Amino acid sequence: MVQYLIGIDIGSTCAKTVVMDGERQIQFRLLQPTGWSSVDTAEEIRRRLESEGFPLEDAAVVATGYGRVSVPYADKCVTEITCHGRGACHVYGESCLTVIDIGGQDTKIIQIQQGAVSDFLMNDKCSAGTGRFLEIMANTLAVRPEELCQMAAQGGGTSISSMCTVFAESEVISLIGRGEKRENIAFAVVDSIVKKVASQAGRMSAGQEAVCLTGGLCGYPYLRQSLSAALGREVRTAEDGRYAGAVGAALSAAAIQK
Amino acid sequence: MSDYVSMWKDLGMDLENHDLLCQVLPTAVGDVFLTQENRPKGMDFWDLVISEVHGIRPKELIEEQKKGRKVFGTFCVYVPDEVVVAANGIVTGLCGGSQFWVPGGEAVLPKSTCPLIKASVGARLGRTCPFFRIADMYVGETTCDGKKKAYEILGEDVPLYVMDVPQMKREKDILKWKDEIAEFAKKVEEFTGNTITVEKLNEAIHIINEKRKALARVYNCRKSTCLPISGRDALLMMQISFFDDPVRCAQMCNKLAGELEQRIADGVSVVPAGTKRILVTGTPLAVPNWKLHNIIETSGAAVVCEEMCTGTRYFENLVDETQTTLDGQFMALSQRYMKTNCACFTPNTGRIDDILRMVKEYHVDGVIDCSLKFCCLYDTEKYSVSRALKEAGVPVLSLETDYADTDAEQLRTRIGAFIELLNG
Amino acid sequence: MDEGGLRWYILFANYEQGLALHELLTDAGVKNRIAPAPRAIQGKLSCGMSLLLEPDAVEDARRCIAAHQAEYYDIVPLAGQIRSRRDQYC
Repeated sequence: MVQYLIGIDIGSTCAKTVVMDGERQIQFRLLQPTGWSSVDTAEEIRRRLESEGFPLEDAAVVATGYGRVSVPYADKCVTEITCHGRGACHVYGESCLTVIDIGGQDTKIIQIQQGAVSDFLMNDKCSAGTGRFLEIMANTLAVRPEELCQMAAQGGGTSISSMCTVFAESEVISLIGRGEKRENIAFAVVDSIVKKVASQAGRMSAGQEAVCLTGGLCGYPYLRQSLSAALGREVRTAEDGRYAGAVGAALSAAAIQK
Repeated sequence: MSDYVSMWKDLGMDLENHDLLCQVLPTAVGDVFLTQENRPKGMDFWDLVISEVHGIRPKELIEEQKKGRKVFGTFCVYVPDEVVVAANGIVTGLCGGSQFWVPGGEAVLPKSTCPLIKASVGARLGRTCPFFRIADMYVGETTCDGKKKAYEILGEDVPLYVMDVPQMKREKDILKWKDEIAEFAKKVEEFTGNTITVEKLNEAIHIINEKRKALARVYNCRKSTCLPISGRDALLMMQISFFDDPVRCAQMCNKLAGELEQRIADGVSVVPAGTKRILVTGTPLAVPNWKLHNIIETSGAAVVCEEMCTGTRYFENLVDETQTTLDGQFMALSQRYMKTNCACFTPNTGRIDDILRMVKEYHVDGVIDCSLKFCCLYDTEKYSVSRALKEAGVPVLSLETDYADTDAEQLRTRIGAFIELLNG
Repeated sequence: MDEGGLRWYILFANYEQGLALHELLTDAGVKNRIAPAPRAIQGKLSCGMSLLLEPDAVEDARRCIAAHQAEYYDIVPLAGQIRSRRDQYC
């Protein structure tokens, strides 16, 4: 008997786990760094679930994210695109929306109509406009990513022209060398991400539906504000935004018969 | 007895490097083709040819050369095989579908050149493709800037003739292509020492038309909702058809088609009912480039058609067989070839019409528009292709890839999500 | 199908022998498939073709070969050759 729906989203940076009951209410959330091995992470999640009182035999499990194939106890794997789409509908209570997921190693724009993915776009083998880009630049500035975003709100007047993370990093280093204020550099970093994401989102024929953010950058107010300005539309965030992939995976588990 | 090693040695090939290539091919063939159950018996022929891909056919070509026949290596479906065949010449495709050859190409070409061009140049310069060693003459064409410039480099190493393909499809362009074909015919006559007569050209036109009809007959079977052959197998057949003798190619394809027609009558399908049907469009998939098809078909969908040069563009439209003068025949050839819708033309709305027509004919659920990296022409056309398909209510996924294995997981995510979308 | 499992390959000096045995085996109802000879077991043979047998067909194949005195070079087991999602192309 399936009593719980478990969604596990193993991303490149963080692993997100969500447990839902039969009423689709979230009973448990777990967030941890993915670390070196997705297999170890999956095992750690299993142990944690058991100790929290959610043994696998009572649950249907769907894995998603780039580490989805490393979850041996998953009943099914579903791609992160489908999961983020489904999860965002649930988290935001909408059935037509555009989802922007800024993930660790890729950025996805997902179009949802009547609760189902109708189109999507994913950046290619390049980390520009992703969480990784933000992380690397934050490292260069010796701050944490969230601090970088806070600093950016106070900056302005500078820009980074390179789309390539490696070249952009050396641009940042030369800005530091020139004595540019850290706030201004932080502004340039966020501005570069926002422009890249906005141009990707512009390729999807966005109508009047809600635009919602999912993924790890949901909790960065300045990023949301800046993205809203670039798109000319209100971008929504939600507390559970970063769990959207795991929520969608848990919802996908509802179809599993055991 | 097949002693290919001494043949390769006589061809001046780099045996050591070639052996590295021979090591990876069997594994890839095993993974892509031999994992499939219930393949048509007729695939035996192509399984044999791919097992001996650098042996069987090269040996035949060398035997024909000993009889005085000339071998012409070509790179593009715009080069008219009929002209070569009429002069008792042989046309062969050339290697260019493996990452193995890319570094060799990058030694002389910019990295931002498409992998097909880099691999072709690498295969020739690295001396690891027997077809590139055997061909007496290479026939290039001006279908993209990358190739035009690459031919200048290849031409320093081999005898190379370049045909000037028009960039538009006005009446004067069709006349111009006719003149190009006539001029090519003169060159071929000169090179082979054989005269092209009306009779010989008519015979050649007939041979190539029969080959086209046989390929079309196999593709016709793929239109059935009871799918008798996988996309991978059909692709292999198509890729090898560029290298084979045209008469035998037609025979083998007709034999396969006969079996597929029987399968349809018996209700034998290679996939479960309801499997989503994908049309793949874009740049060519030269042998042994099987990545896209393998990922699609191991992610739960089936490829039912390729709108590409290694696909429908190779066999659709026949040449008029009723002409009685060389001038009339050259015009008939030009008219047929100019119907091929390549992104090198502007405008190229015919390709969109083709895709929309094939979506209906092949009962397609979704289209994957995939271009090779750095192919500006096909990459740019994705915009209008995807817009037209969306207007027609057909889901489309645009992709860009090269020959490297490194993006396989990213492709699996995108293609997997696309199939999830189709499955609703 | 047991992906990556142990399989047997019949090797030949040339493809003519291989095709002849392929026909004999098929006529005798022994399931066999034409496959490129894995380089690891091909040795000095330049013939690229082999016949692939699932483990349960090996004894039947040997009997058929003996009955017809068919020509072949060797029958060799090898694992790990067939995995549909390995994503190593050439």
